[in-house]
Amino acid sequence: MIEIRDLVKVYGDKTAVDGISFTVNKGEVLGFLGPNGAGKSTTMNIITGYLSSTSGSVKVNGHDILEEPAEAKKCIGYLPEIPPLYPDMTVLEYLKFICDLKGVAKEGRKEMLASILAMVRITDVAERLIANLSKGYKQRVGIAQALIGNPEILILDEPTVGLDPNQIIEIRKMIKHLAKDRTIILSSHILSEVQAVCDRVVIINNGKLVAIDTINDLSNKINGTSKLIMCFKGPAEDVIRNLTNVAGVDSVELVASEDDIHKIEINSENDDDGIDIRTRLFNSMAMAGWPVLEFRSKELSLEEIFLKLTGEK
Amino acid sequence: MIAVFKRELISYFKSPVGYVVLAFFFFISGFMFVNQFSSGSINMASEIINLRSFFVIIVPVMTMGLFADDRKRGTDVLYYTSPVGLLNVVLGKFLAAFFLQFILFINVFVHMILTAACKGVIDSGTWGTVIVYFFLAALFISIGIFASSITDSQIVAAIVTFVGILLIQLISVFSTMVSKLFAAILMSSLFRMESEKAGVICSRIESAIRWFDPFSKTNDFSYGIFKVSSLLYCLSFAAFFIFLTYRKLEKKRWAKG
Repeated sequence: MIEIRDLVKVYGDKTAVDGISFTVNKGEVLGFLGPNGAGKSTTMNIITGYLSSTSGSVKVNGHDILEEPAEAKKCIGYLPEIPPLYPDMTVLEYLKFICDLKGVAKEGRKEMLASILAMVRITDVAERLIANLSKGYKQRVGIAQALIGNPEILILDEPTVGLDPNQIIEIRKMIKHLAKDRTIILSSHILSEVQAVCDRVVIINNGKLVAIDTINDLSNKINGTSKLIMCFKGPAEDVIRNLTNVAGVDSVELVASEDDIHKIEINSENDDDGIDIRTRLFNSMAMAGWPVLEFRSKELSLEEIFLKLTGEK
Repeated sequence: MIAVFKRELISYFKSPVGYVVLAFFFFISGFMFVNQFSSGSINMASEIINLRSFFVIIVPVMTMGLFADDRKRGTDVLYYTSPVGLLNVVLGKFLAAFFLQFILFINVFVHMILTAACKGVIDSGTWGTVIVYFFLAALFISIGIFASSITDSQIVAAIVTFVGILLIQLISVFSTMVSKLFAAILMSSLFRMESEKAGVICSRIESAIRWFDPFSKTNDFSYGIFKVSSLLYCLSFAAFFIFLTYRKLEKKRWAKG
């Protein structure tokens, strides 16, 4: 569906994208993961034809983005990092303008607009000025804009950035719904977001490809060892000694203490015997009568993930 | 092209820009007309010619936002990533600004109707100035569009356009100044040229510079003498700047920094 080969983009003396190649298959949701400034947006801009690559090629449905731009662009709906909205238009006027711009046929346009408005749930604000909409609604109008012309491929650049948790969940739901009959590329700097919606992940850092993997394989690699954080009330030394003896626990470290409330970090090996190590830890604490105040798994930072994936220490 | 044209034209009247320009132009043209009307002799050609000196204010205001605003809002992405060509986008915006000029000119048409109704003179010379007005408008708008494409600040775009139009309006003044300067240099102790010979050279220089002046080129129109070559000059000038704008936008894709 999308074929990217040896993509390079150089800005002055900075190489923003350095020899990235991957393909996106029909119907899949590909996550594009990397920290800020990794070259995610640049790559997306090149795929959509907003920027040109210094070298390398992008083929969309067999059409080269530089040689047959019109054909290639017709297959793509793009939501840039900042949604390209005209604040002086109402939502409906704006979407009609996009229809004109993309050359959508007049027949059936009303039905298409109505279904898109319903799909991204902005029917009730259709007559309002875009300038007066909240950020979440603006983002949805941006997605609606990308959906116009019913493109087979959707490219969404950090679609949930700057939204509140409820809105993020809504947008994710929407993306999952859209993924049913479309190919989607989605960028993010949050691992859990990519895990929540994508089939496959491309991880880049400093313009270079770090890994391409399915979500399951990636999760296994990352979760080979995992960290847990626990807060409890009780004697720190006794607890640490006790927990270190629990089967599967590698090491226990004291992170912070306040009066007799302590916070520890528990490193564990992957559970081979199929019993969640958290059950054992809890039981051990409960048996000794030390109240657990907080217990959660620690999310790996992107940096740690890169280190794990590249095998560096 | 039509989509962009429609959007830009409508957006003129969704912001104060369209109304401000409209009010300004209507006031100035109305003032001129009433002045002539009350004095008893109406010369529409001279009203239209005088109105041309306000291009320098109206055009920068009309064109400053056309591309600068898109870049600032990030809406230029739409033009780069949708199947319409960039040239169509430039032409659409150009036509929107040009059409706004037509809307402004409605007031002058009203004056012409009033003049005709009062048995005043509306002759080929008057129509000639009307034609010239729109060709000059096209020329100046093309400069404004180009200025708007090179920056993402509306203010800078407006200033560049203002200076550009001012320079063109002053070409005939410059040509005289430059030729006088050359005459002084040629006749000075440095070259010791005879005044006759120097005079010939300087007049050549003057006419060479003046060749670029769209105003003196189209002077004859107000006498009812229509010269296609002058109109072609304005058109090719506008086409050149439209092309430059297109190249400028296209180049952004290949930006290196």
